[in-house]
This record gives sequence, C-alpha cells and structure tokens, in this order.
Amino acid sequence: MKDINNNDIINPGSLNKEDKPSSELSRRSFLKIMGGSIAYMAVTGCRRPLEEIVPYVEAPEEAILGNPEKYATSMTLGMGVYGLVVTSFEGRPTKIEGNALHSSSRGGSNAFMQAEILNLYDPDRLKKCYKGNTINSWDGFKQDWSEIHEKYTENQGEGLAILSQSFCSPTLFRQYEAYKKAFPKATWTVFDPVSDENIFKGLSLATGKSLRPNYKFEKAKVILSLDSDFLHLGADNVAAARGFADGRQVNSTHDKMNRLYTVESNVTLTGAMADHRIRLKSSEVFAFSLAIAGELSRLGLNTNGLDDRNLNSKCSVDGKVIKAIAEDLLSNKGQSVIIAGSTQPSELHALVVVLNDLLGNTGKTVTYNKITDAVAANLNELNSLKADLTNKSIETLVILGGDPAFNFPVDYNLKALCKDVKNVIFLGNHKNSTSEFCSWTIPQNHFLESWGDARSSDGTLSIVQPLIAPLYKGHSTIELMNIILTGEERTGYELSRETWAGIFGLLDSESKWKEVLHEGFYNSPQSLEVTFSIDATSIKKSVGKYLSDYKPIQSDLELTFSADPSVYDGRYANNGWLQEAPDPITKINWTNVAGISPGTADKNSLINGDVVEIKNGKYALNIPVWIIPGLAENSLALTLGNGNKKLGRISELSGYSSYTIRTSESTNICTVRMTRTSENLVIPTTQKHPYVEDRPLIRETELKEYQKHPEFAQDMVHVPDTQSLWEEHQYDEGNQWGMTIDLNLCIGCNSCVLACQSENNVPIVGSKPSNYGREMHWLRIDRYFSKDEENPTVRFQPVACQHCEMAPCESVCPVAATNHDQEGLNLMVYNRCVGTRYCANNCPYKVRRFNFYNYTNEYPEIVKMSQNPDVTVRSRGVMEKCSYCLHRINRIKRDTKLSGSKVQDGAVVTACQQACPTGAIQFGNINDPDSKVVAAKKVRNYELLAEFNTRPRTSYQAKIRNPNPDLKKLI
Amino acid sequence: MKSFENTLTAQEPIKPLILGNPSFSSVTETISGICEKKETPIWWWIALGISGLLSLNLAAMIGYLVWEGTGIWGLNIPVSWGWAIVNFVFWVGIGHAGTLISAILFLMRQKWRTSINRFAEAMTIFAVLCAAIFPGIHVGRMWVMHWMFPLPNQMGLWVNFRSPLLWDVFAVGTYFTCSALFWYTGLIPDLATFRDRAKNRIKKTIFGVLSLGWRGGNKQWKHYELAYLLLAGISTPLVLSVHSVVSTDFAVSIIPGWHTTIFPPYFVAGAIFSGFAMVLTLSIIARAIFPQIKNFITMDHLGKIAKVILLTGTMVGYAYSMEFFIAWYSGNDYERFAFINRALGPFAWAYWIMITCNVLTPQIFWFKKLRSSIPVLFIASIIVNIGMWFERFVIVMTLHRDFLPSSWDYYTPTMFDIGIFVGSFGFFFFMFLLFLRFLPMISMTEIKGVLPQADPHHGGNSHE
Repeated sequence: MKDINNNDIINPGSLNKEDKPSSELSRRSFLKIMGGSIAYMAVTGCRRPLEEIVPYVEAPEEAILGNPEKYATSMTLGMGVYGLVVTSFEGRPTKIEGNALHSSSRGGSNAFMQAEILNLYDPDRLKKCYKGNTINSWDGFKQDWSEIHEKYTENQGEGLAILSQSFCSPTLFRQYEAYKKAFPKATWTVFDPVSDENIFKGLSLATGKSLRPNYKFEKAKVILSLDSDFLHLGADNVAAARGFADGRQVNSTHDKMNRLYTVESNVTLTGAMADHRIRLKSSEVFAFSLAIAGELSRLGLNTNGLDDRNLNSKCSVDGKVIKAIAEDLLSNKGQSVIIAGSTQPSELHALVVVLNDLLGNTGKTVTYNKITDAVAANLNELNSLKADLTNKSIETLVILGGDPAFNFPVDYNLKALCKDVKNVIFLGNHKNSTSEFCSWTIPQNHFLESWGDARSSDGTLSIVQPLIAPLYKGHSTIELMNIILTGEERTGYELSRETWAGIFGLLDSESKWKEVLHEGFYNSPQSLEVTFSIDATSIKKSVGKYLSDYKPIQSDLELTFSADPSVYDGRYANNGWLQEAPDPITKINWTNVAGISPGTADKNSLINGDVVEIKNGKYALNIPVWIIPGLAENSLALTLGNGNKKLGRISELSGYSSYTIRTSESTNICTVRMTRTSENLVIPTTQKHPYVEDRPLIRETELKEYQKHPEFAQDMVHVPDTQSLWEEHQYDEGNQWGMTIDLNLCIGCNSCVLACQSENNVPIVGSKPSNYGREMHWLRIDRYFSKDEENPTVRFQPVACQHCEMAPCESVCPVAATNHDQEGLNLMVYNRCVGTRYCANNCPYKVRRFNFYNYTNEYPEIVKMSQNPDVTVRSRGVMEKCSYCLHRINRIKRDTKLSGSKVQDGAVVTACQQACPTGAIQFGNINDPDSKVVAAKKVRNYELLAEFNTRPRTSYQAKIRNPNPDLKKLI
Repeated sequence: MKSFENTLTAQEPIKPLILGNPSFSSVTETISGICEKKETPIWWWIALGISGLLSLNLAAMIGYLVWEGTGIWGLNIPVSWGWAIVNFVFWVGIGHAGTLISAILFLMRQKWRTSINRFAEAMTIFAVLCAAIFPGIHVGRMWVMHWMFPLPNQMGLWVNFRSPLLWDVFAVGTYFTCSALFWYTGLIPDLATFRDRAKNRIKKTIFGVLSLGWRGGNKQWKHYELAYLLLAGISTPLVLSVHSVVSTDFAVSIIPGWHTTIFPPYFVAGAIFSGFAMVLTLSIIARAIFPQIKNFITMDHLGKIAKVILLTGTMVGYAYSMEFFIAWYSGNDYERFAFINRALGPFAWAYWIMITCNVLTPQIFWFKKLRSSIPVLFIASIIVNIGMWFERFVIVMTLHRDFLPSSWDYYTPTMFDIGIFVGSFGFFFFMFLLFLRFLPMISMTEIKGVLPQADPHHGGNSHE
C-alpha cells in the first residue's frame, strides 16, 4: 500500500475550523457578522443548507471517490498489540477491523478496538498546546524545552523524570535506552493503573528472567483459569478468544471440545463460558491453587514440596472437586493449561509457571518470550518516584500520556507531589485531572494520526501508520521524546523508519518497509522464546512467606479492582459508544456499580441501587451496589476508570471513581468495610429481566447428550407443519442471504455490538433514555442467568434482525416502508417510513429501534466524520434495524457484476461477523449448498421462535457445555 | 278507551316517553328556547373557558410534539405504542353510542331513543374528532401523514393494504363521514325551525343555508324519512365494523395477548358499553343544567341506558374471562404467560382497576333502586369510562412483556402523555358546549313524532 507521511496525505483544510482561536468579538464585528448572517439567511432561508463538495485538486493515484481504501496499522493497549485494518473513505478513517493476517487478532477484535474510531473524532480532545492555562504553541514549547534541555545535558539529567505508561514499541524503547544513556541520573517510571506487573514478577520469581507468557489455547484440552479473564479483559484477549474458540468447535458428533474450569470471585466472561465455575473470593484463589498443586503431587507429580500440608490446608473448596480437576489436568498432560489473572499475587504466577511446567505444558500450550522492546509497569519504580517527588529532588517531570493524577493510588496524590516541581510537561489526549497542574500540556496524537510501531507478546513486530493528518496539531509520544532527548524535532515517520532500518538491515530496507506497510506487521526471524530452569526451592520459600502473611478470614469483606469493560482504566471515559455499550454481565451502561453477591446483599439488606459507603482504611467511596448472581460471598467487585468527569461531554455523565479508594498497598484486592446509606439510585440497564423463564430461546446441552442426540436443538420445540393459503414466494434463485450465530462460541464480549454501531452509524442516546429502553443498538447481546443464584449458568445470545421470510413487521406497515427483497432481506426504507412503530410492536424479537428524537442532529461536525458514507444517517421519526450490512452486500455485488463473476462464498462479510473474535457468526448465501453458512445450518441449528412461522434467516447453533462427569454432582 | 284494548297486541298502558304531556309548540319553545336565549348563563362561559384552555394546552403540546418528536412521550422499545393509541381507541369507543342509538335503535323502532339521539350523535362526532387527533400525531413523522392515504403519486408508491392501520384509516374515515351525514340529516328539520324563528338576519341566513331549503312539505318529509332510513341502514354495519377494525390493530399482530379472535366482538361490546356510559354522563349533566328537558330525558331513559350498560358490561366481563380460558386452553406458553402477567405482573394494578370498573360496577344496575338514583348513575357512568380507558391501557401495555424476556420493560407516562389526554377531553367538552348553546340538543322533530298527539289514533280516532 501507499507510503504516507504526515504532511502529504489528505487535505486537512476543512478541519481547521476547529482550530480557530476562541471567539473574542468586538461589538462592531459582532454586528457586522450578525447583519451578514441575517442577510444570508434571508437569501437561503427556504433552501436546504448549502454543502460544498470540494474535489481533490491532486487526487491520490488509487483513490476512486466512494470506494474506500484499507490500510493496515496497529494499536496498543498497555503491552497488548492489536493488528488492524482500517477502512478509509477519501482519507477519512471510518471503521477499524482486526487484521486477519496478524497473530494478535486474526481478524477479530474487541470492543475497544472498534470504538477507537470515535476516540479519533472525539470533539473534546485536547486541541492546542497550553502553557499553564494559556494557549501556546508547539514552537513555544520547543523553545522552552531547548533551555531545559541544555541544562540536563550538562548535569546528566539530574532532576529530570519521566512518567509513562507501559509500552511495547521498538522506537520508543530505542528512545528509552537513549534517554537512560543521555541522562544517567534521570529516571523513567512506568505506571499502569491496570497492569500485568504481577505476571511478569511471578515469571521472574520462577525463572529469574524477564519474560511474558504467550498462551496457545487452541492446543489446550483442559484449561484452568485462576481468577483470570483471559477471554475478555486479559492481555492478548482477542488471540486468546480465537484460540479458545478453535478448541471449542463442535461441528460433528466426533468433535472433542476443550473444558474450561474457572475459579473467580467476580463473574467474568471467562467464568460465564466455563464448564465449571467455582466462585471463590479472590484472596482464596491462592489457597485453591496450592490445593491443586497438593492434589497433583498426591497423584504422582513431583511438585518439589509444594504439596506441603501446611501450605494447602486453607482451601475452602471440597477436596473431591480439587481432585477431579487435578485428575483432569493430569490426564491431559501437555494439553492442558493453567492461567492466573493479573490481580493475583506474583507468587501465584510463579506457582502457575511451575505447575504448567510439571504438566508438560511449557512449549506446548504456553510459551514464554523474552520481554523485548517493552517496559512494563513497576510499583517499586513508582515508589521511588514518589520518594523523589517528596524529597523535591525532581525539577522536571514529563508525563507521557494517560491521566496519572486521576488513576494514581489515592495515597499518592500526584497533584500535591508535583507542587514543587518546576516543569511538569504533559502529553495528553484531553484536559483532565493531570493537565490541571501542568506547566505545559501538549495534545497527543491518536494512533490513527501517528507513525509508530509495536511488538506483541509472541514477538511479532507491527507498524503503526497514520490514516489521517493530525486533526488537532497534536504530536505523538515518539516525536515528543525526540524533543526531550535531543531538543530537535523529527517526524514520527523519520523516527520509525530509522528503527525499522535497524530491524531490516540496510540492504533490503525499502522493499521490506513497503511490505510491512502493506501487511501491517513483520515476522521477525529471530525467535524470542527462551528456555529456563525453575528454581523450585525459592518458589517454595516465597510462597511460604506469602502464606505466612496471609490470613484469610471468611467473613472479611473483600474488594477487588478490575478493568472496566467499557472505559478500561478510564481512558475511554469520553467514548459514547463504549459508555452506552452495556456491561456484558450486568448490562449496566453509562455508570459503574459495586458488584455484590445475592447472599451478601441479603445479609446487609441491600437491594440493587442502594448506595453504600465502602471504606478502605481512611478512604471512602459512596457507590450503588448491584447484585450479581454467582459473585463470591463477602466479596465486592469494583471496576476502574469511571467517574473521570473532566474529559468532556460524555465522561462528565459517568459513574464513580474507584481510584478514590485504591491505595498503593492494595491495588488489586483489599479488605474493606461497607455501610449502607439511605440513598437508592436508579441504575441504567439495557436488560431488565435476568431470566429466560424456561423459554426455549437459548438451547443448550452437554457434549455427551449432544453426541447421543445431535438434533436436540431442533427437537426441543415442535414446529407445526403449516399449509399456506396462497402461493408463497420461493426464494430459490440467486443469492439468498442467511446467517448463523454459534452460541457455543459467543463469549458475549460486545465486539459485534460496537462493530455494528461503527459500521451502521448507530447513534447513542444517553443514560436515561437507554435505561428507558430507547437504546439504538441494532445488535444486542441478551444475557440470561439461570435461577440458581449462587452458581448460575450465564448464557449469551446476540440478537439482531432475524430477516424473517414471513416477517411480522412487514405486513403491518401501512405505508409498506419495510419490505422483502428477492434475496430474502428484510429491508427498511427510511424515506418511506412515517413512524407508526407498529413494526416494532409486532417484531417478536424486538430488534427494531426507533428514532424518538433526532439523535444525529446535534453531532459535532468532527463526529460526523466518523460516519460511514455508505449507510444513511437516520433522522427523527423513522424506524431502523439490522440490514445484514446491505451496503456491504451491494458493494460486493457491484464489484462482482463488473468483473462478470458470481459472488463467492465468504466475499460478503457483515461487520458483526468480521468483528467476532471467536468466529461465532457465519454469513452467506443459503442457496449455495457449499457455503459455510449452509454447513453451519446443519449443525446444532435452530431458529428462534420458529414455531410462530416467522421463518427467520438468522439461525442459532445451540450451546454445548463439556462438564467433567466426576464433578457434575459436586458443583 | 281502556276497555277497547283487549287484543293480543294490547299491552299494559305504557308509560309515556315524554312526560308532562307537552304540546307540539311547547316542545319547540322549550328546546329552541335554550339556544335562543339572549343572555348566556355564566356557568357556560366558565366551562367553555376551562375546556378552551385545555384545548389550547392540547394544541401547544401537539406543537411541541411536532417540534421535538414522539420521544416526549413515555414510549420505548418494547412499548412503542402508548397513551396516544390508548386514547384513540378510547375515543373511538365513546363514539360508538351515538350511531348505535340513532341507527340500530331507529331500525328496531326503539322510540325512547328520540330524546337522546341528537346529543349522542353529537357526542359521537366530537369523540371521533378527538380520536382522529391521535393516529395523526402518534407517528414519528407527522408531516408525511398523508402517505397513510392511497393518494396517487408520481413515485408510484402505494399503501399496504395488508396493514390494519390502513384499515383503520378507512374504517374511522367512513364512520366519521356517515355519522356526520346522519347527524346533519337529522338536524335539517330542526334547523329549519330555527331559521323560521330567527329574529336577526345573520341567524336567518346561517340557518337558512344550513336547513337546505326545508319547508316541511309532504314530499320533503317522504324523501327525508327515506334518506334517514337509508342512512340508518348504512350506519348500522359501521357501528359493528369500526371497532372491529380498530380491534384488528391488535388482533392481527403476533404478540401474545393481542393475537386473539375474540377481539372484534369484545371491542364492539366494550365500545357500546363506554359510549352509553358517556351518554349517561352527558344526559345527567344536561338535565342538571337545563331542568326544562327533564321531561324529555326522563328517568326511564336513564334506566334504559343503565340496562344497556349492564348488558354490555357483562359481555365485556365474559370476554375478559374467555381470554383467560383460551390462553390456558391453547396450551401456548407465551399466551398463558401474557395473561398471567396481565393479572399478576407489573401492570396488575391497571388490570384490577379495569375489572373493578368494568365488570363489578355495572352489576349494581341489577337493582332498580340504584338504576333510578341520579348520583349512583352519574358516578357509575364515570367509573365505567375510567374502566374502559384502563381496558385499552391494559391491552396496549401487553407489549411490555412479549417473547424474549431480555426486552421486557415498563412504561411510564410523561406530562405530555397526560396533558394531551386531558387536552382531548378539553376539546371534546369545548365542542360539546358550543353544540349545547347553538344547536337543538334534542331532536324536536322526533320528539314530536313520539308524542301521543302525533299518533293518528290519538283521542280514539280509530280507523275501524
């Protein structure tokens, strides 16, 4: 693909409107403008608003107006890398998708990746350089810095400190090393509010090396997850979900599927997918793991003394359960994997490394790679930075990204610590808690505006290339770092090319560079995988030490912190799509709650929405509780990042900041006290009823049952034979579109919901309206709990328009605004719709969404740029719903017609199908017997409410669980 | 005289329909007098003021609705029909009694109808006008409402004849047209009386035009009677059809609790029920305000209306129980749940209000004493209409829990739901007050026809 550099892409002319200085009008000029506007209004008053289309003066070579182009790039989230392919219309990126060739995503994505496009066009992004509180410029900064720089080159950086987030970029790492060299006395601290530090620490505890794990779930038959949400919010979650799905395919009765055991306190998506979920307070997971270790050694595995009775007498889980799991792990030696969550102590991670090794999994289901080109968060460094700041030995602090003042441990008040720091330089996305006290605030580029690179956990090198010139005159981290290092400006392009020249060697640099730009990544021939020996005695020692300090008290109220599925650590707080996307488990959006188990809620006589005061030492937080069936007793679950109200128009509406009770001592798990207040709040949710009420909507069975009775899903409901009163349309010619959704693979992660929102210009409505049932999502994920409150099964079902052949919506529309086409699509003609809403009433699946207001009218200009030009932006008063990505179908049909061929199976990919990390969605021509969708419709297939003769084109593949027969009666 | 009546057809001496034995001229005097009075009573001005303000409120709220969108109501998904549809069905139901009294009772030679048919018909027309507001404003894009009509257009777009909403357009449109024609036809001789009695030129001209040159000649009477009979014949099926069609708005759907065949008859019975209740309310008010018409609208009339209410109320009660029986008998779990949910779910309060008002309250009319007590009749008639509003509310709210429990939700009205509903009452009474003041509220012609003097056999003038 094309080599783009920052300055010569797309004409950014029209964007500069946003950059006008804040209006300071004199009375005279105000009158002049008003007079002019009134005259102008009089002339154009009866016309539609004038819109100018400015053609390219010099069109890019490949650009055909209306035909999007796709570029490969990548994004990073902490130390995770996601390979992307981004769709761009006339230089305007509109849609992010996973890069199918990239090992990190294999085409899939998560909700954050999908929502990044809205972050790019966030109207509240920082737009200018600020010196203190006054607008200044980049040149001004450079000038200021050149003085500071001179000083630090002389004194070797004494008094200089950098605070950054963890990163995994070769270029930035190069600069990191150069910084250490140039300023030996300066410090560089890495802090992440959500970090995998414990994992890395545990690995180094076990092996003495700095390593990161890389799991291959596709090879695992038995997976034991210890408080890890590897499918959803863990590192490399997209690859993990895909690997997990590969091991869970059931396409015939001969297929074996993996078995997932989960031990966790909060209910996560990983727990929801588990064949056996054991609820346990997070602080007890360690004891559980030791019990497993003990059981494994009893079963003949040499665990080097980890079976010590003193160590594993504290587990509250039934010994028979432990035994069954241990036996299962042992009988799948080399094909099992144990994974622990990042909130668990490093000693547990060390233990897990040992157990995986003993089970023969190392090198098979899990490999360990050297941490390369990356720097992980480190709490010790943070403590020393705090000490430096307290000693006032720091004169200049450079903060690279994030919002540390907001998400620092509450006992480290960054603002107070920085009081005596002369220069605080902040590179940030928004005006936020951090920018408030900085002497310089510099707008940070979005990754779609900047050059860069990244290295994944498996060693793959990825390129970050811009798709659009910076919208707000921002700068990327590497550009700023270059100024910090050298005092001179170089473009991100130059800096990354330099790095990559080093990677390729000089000889074939140019051709390989082009290849990398095209593919988006580079498989370095040099393997990062390392071998190591395990120091069992030291592990035993540290585990023993950990346990001697650890006194679990059952009745203590434990609090766990985890990343939020919507705002992550707070960075997405101003992203409306993510804020409106319901939490996959609670279905709460726009706010956060303290999750509590039904039993604990009962004991404290709490109901949903009751505000409690949670006290961690001297720090207190008032937050409403929400009862989550399946949560461990005496455990509260808080997500991070909400309540970050300073970012902009969206974030100011959101939730409660859990950071206000998160101390440096207790970043993950802590003991708290909870008192009830008299307040009760309405918590917005998109799904009010948690149970499926014995309706055969999500059909599920166990693997054994399925093998005996593969047609169980069809047979669950009697669909009567009907005789038609008239001659029906046959739908047997040409393309007949259909879809399947495999409930066995759906993990409920919201990726498809966000993809649909981005692809189809679906508006957001806000907290109250969405709570009231006016959310606009064309595709929603229904979540049902079984009625067992202690150990419920959780099931997910994505529901979008089912494209019924006998669509109840069509016959009731008085103006025929919704119709069927000859390819079996249920069409919605927005222009014709008068908005009687009868179709929505009569839709048994309730997938039709109505524009009760003109939701798109008040979009800021910049947000309009994120809209897909292929899809009509709907106005007030019309109904809308899933179109099976009709515009994508039509584009492929057009292209194939021009080339004279037929639409190939797999050519049309809907946005949800594309985004699904587990490949649960198939779409294609059901008239083509060889298509994948037809194959899918032969396995575990059933249609939702088929007994009402709606004949939906979307069908579901029933869910299969694979429980351990030894455990069935026990859990 | 009495001794001659010994045939099989001879009956007990029936009570006269009109009390006080008025003469033809005193009938004219009494009824015309109400409209011809110079000074308008103060209560009329106050009532007109209040209802006028409410009508203005209606107009303002509709204006805001058009400006902002249907989001100002409490609608959502799954309950995307709310009070607007409830009110529509409610008002169409009210509008039933008029035509039933004029047409069906006319064909059945129920002569007692003559005292109440005029204002029952007026009530029908105003109620249908109120009803007609709602389908128009409840849609998302009011400015393209005309697409609901089969208007030929250059785009070749046509309406969908499969949609019950379109049937509604025709049914209500036809009903309104016929009711208005019927009412006007009935008015012609009375308008001519007004013309003849008018003392100023403007009135004379207006009534002159409106009375279409009526002279009261024999031939005119002959044609008139025939036209009236024909219109009655045309209107009769409409009485049954309009609410049957309105019921198909629900019955044709797939939604459990809506998808039932009992809806058409049950809706018609309910409509007559509520219509008669409204007639009762209005008659009692009219009698209180104009004591002079107590001789025309007698306790006997009110008692008869009460009997109709008792009958239709019991029919409605039967329908309610039959719905439950069929839901159980069908074996369809979704259907069963819909009805259990109706009686025990989040909207159970509305359901039990409905049962209390519609099924239990009319049962008091088994007792003659209660049938002849004005306060009891008045309160009961209002309770019945509250109940009938709730019936429609309960039916529409069936939407809140359908097939997929994930989409289950609730409906809370906003001030605009309530304001527009109250406003429609304002508009109804505003129109009704104007009618009372300017047009004969009781048909003089027909009253005269049922006076003993009108009988050719009056005074023993037997043909034999």
